Amino acid sequence: MLQYLIIQLDDTSTSYCHYYNGKRNRNLISIDTLKSGIMFGMKENLMIQYILPDYELPDEYYEVLESIDHSKIASSGSPYASVADVVVLNGWNKDYAFDIEGVYVLRVDKRTLFEKTSEILKVLKECARLNIVITDVEKFSDADFETYKSVLDSFSKELEALYVAGKTPQLNLLTDRMMLDGMNNCNAGSDSITLAPDGRFYVCPAFYLAPDDEDYGLGKSKVSVGSLASGLDIKNPQLYRLSHAPLCRNCDAYQCKRCVWLNRKTTYEVNTPSHEQCVVAHLERNASRALLMDIRKHGTFLPEKEDIKEISYLDPFDVRKEW
Amino acid sequence: MEKNDEIKDVDRGWLNGAAKTITFIVTKDCQLACKYCYLVGKNENERMTLETAKKAVDYILDNRSFFKEESVIWEFIGGEPFLEIELIENICDYIKIEMFRRNHPWFNSYRFNFSTNGINYHTSKVQNFIKKNWYHLSLGITIDGTKRKHDLNRIWKTKEMEMGFQPKPEDERGSYDDVVRNIPLWLSQFPKAATKVTISSADIPYIKESVLHLYSLGIHEVNINVVYEKVWKEGDDVVFENQLVQLADEIIDNGYYQDFACSFFSETIGKPMDIHSDNRNWCGAGRMLSIDAHGNFYPCTRFAQYSLRSKKARTIGNIGNGIDLNKVRPFIVLDRILQSPQECIDCEVASGCGWCQGENYDAADTPTAYQRATAICKMHKARVRANNYYWNKLYRKLEHEGVAREKAVKHVKSESSNTINC
Ligand code: SF4
Ligand code: SF4
Repeated sequence: MLQYLIIQLDDTSTSYCHYYNGKRNRNLISIDTLKSGIMFGMKENLMIQYILPDYELPDEYYEVLESIDHSKIASSGSPYASVADVVVLNGWNKDYAFDIEGVYVLRVDKRTLFEKTSEILKVLKECARLNIVITDVEKFSDADFETYKSVLDSFSKELEALYVAGKTPQLNLLTDRMMLDGMNNCNAGSDSITLAPDGRFYVCPAFYLAPDDEDYGLGKSKVSVGSLASGLDIKNPQLYRLSHAPLCRNCDAYQCKRCVWLNRKTTYEVNTPSHEQCVVAHLERNASRALLMDIRKHGTFLPEKEDIKEISYLDPFDVRKEW
Repeated sequence: MEKNDEIKDVDRGWLNGAAKTITFIVTKDCQLACKYCYLVGKNENERMTLETAKKAVDYILDNRSFFKEESVIWEFIGGEPFLEIELIENICDYIKIEMFRRNHPWFNSYRFNFSTNGINYHTSKVQNFIKKNWYHLSLGITIDGTKRKHDLNRIWKTKEMEMGFQPKPEDERGSYDDVVRNIPLWLSQFPKAATKVTISSADIPYIKESVLHLYSLGIHEVNINVVYEKVWKEGDDVVFENQLVQLADEIIDNGYYQDFACSFFSETIGKPMDIHSDNRNWCGAGRMLSIDAHGNFYPCTRFAQYSLRSKKARTIGNIGNGIDLNKVRPFIVLDRILQSPQECIDCEVASGCGWCQGENYDAADTPTAYQRATAICKMHKARVRANNYYWNKLYRKLEHEGVAREKAVKHVKSESSNTINC
């Protein structure tokens, strides 16, 4: 069921996820479109999330934004970073001053993550929550999987030490799976929808920000799913739901994003993930399992949660016949 | 055994369909311009080179981990494949040499498959090829039935048509006479051969006479399908049902069921299907491999551009980079329920109602293979009614003749309700 409306306030508003935003020219949503979007969200009972740009909005905008309960996403370079609920760091900056209560998204490519692991893991004790988004998951090689495994081990050791010391920082890659009892994916197109400055709806900002000529093989990547004027019109909506994702619905890598945009890009089907996405998510799942067991060695921890069971595969595709 | 307890069933395919099918689209050209042909982008320019075919063969034989099946069907299609018989002969020679040289298990378990319009069947080049490879050949000639039925659709292509002009009906030249003269030769070489008949809206009134005509030519197995495309008009299902009932009467009253099979009649169709145990995909797209003149790989020929009306070609790799396994995943995990609308899932007569994965993709609202096209719904239901009539009448007849019902049905294989006929 639709629960969230993400409003991309400007073409240049930061990416907070896997997709790349290459737009450099400002294109602010019109005040009327913004108001209609908020009205839509209120009528449909949706939680609103604004993605703010890196410049000051005109005063009248700010008033409209504040007219409804919402959360704010802004990049670390935005004038709104200090009031944002989630701050996005595009790339690693070791000198950035984190807020101990802050929630951050760190968008890094695999190389940076692998090379800067020891610096990045220090952030865990400097903020409340860190979401690491690897921006080139689809390019992981077998060697990268191995490296990623050891990177996760390093993060685990740091987390274990912090938890034993009574701290409870969150790292999406490792602590989410420990806490979850069921799938907690991105669910773009089923739980959330994005409104863009052009007044149209998109499954997620990635489907709006794709360049006009971008085509991963089956036609344009930029595809809208209705507009404020004509209403929401998601074709084949079932394909965005977990029930219609043949691999994911049987999977227990609950923390996985199950990114429908990456799915579309890598397999051509929004409901079918790539091998790379699955293996990365399973390395995280297995590392979460080990972390949970390690923390429990020190005492009672999450007593209501069952152990995460041991599994023999990294890609659910490989065991599909066993279901 | 008494003769009259036999009921001939359609062939389930070599090794019951367990072999890997690899299809070379050797040419997109054809002498005919059949009106129902789904190959919307046929042309004379795209011809596979031997070099491309060799690269494809090398890639396939070198990558046993992707092609694990015990057996293989090397299939050659077009357009009309026999327009490229010399190329095909060279490719087949290369395949045989390379399978042998690499000590590949397929060397002991392979077939070459052809589906031809039959026009060039008698030519010395084709005949030499047949003699050379006879032991490993499956070869079907497409003949649609009586002359008037066949010529209704299977007409010669003209220069004007290539330029986009449709001929007046009186100027159309049918191909029946050019095909039928080759049927005796074909049947003498392949006595168990089957023919494939495709039914579109205009063909419905000729179904009965066409199937009987094919039987009279000596063809014992008629694989007949209604097209999956959205071509059906109001009332077509009624005429279709009447035709099948009349055909059922002829087959049963004359005892043709003992020696002849028609795929329209099957004991396994028209039943509800379990959402768990009967959840397989209908067709083998993604488990097969098609290769075009440019060396692109497709999950099935229907995903190549020349087969598609409204969508972009959907490749799964090419001879240079190999198979992109991520592109194959959606086809492998695709099942019946995932792609079916609720109406099909709840349908009381669902079994035997099929789909073409490529047509699903072509007709879908988004670029997905996961949206089942249901244009044949009414036609399937009409088929089920006629099919029920057929079996009720046939069993009654056999009972009257003293054949126990159990004995009558034992000859009808029913391992699978998904008779793949695409
Ligand atoms: S790991 Fe793969 S199968 Fe599991 S939820 Fe993620 S994308 Fe889906
Ligand atoms: S589909 Fe979801 S996970 Fe993927 S890029 Fe869009 S918001 Fe991120």
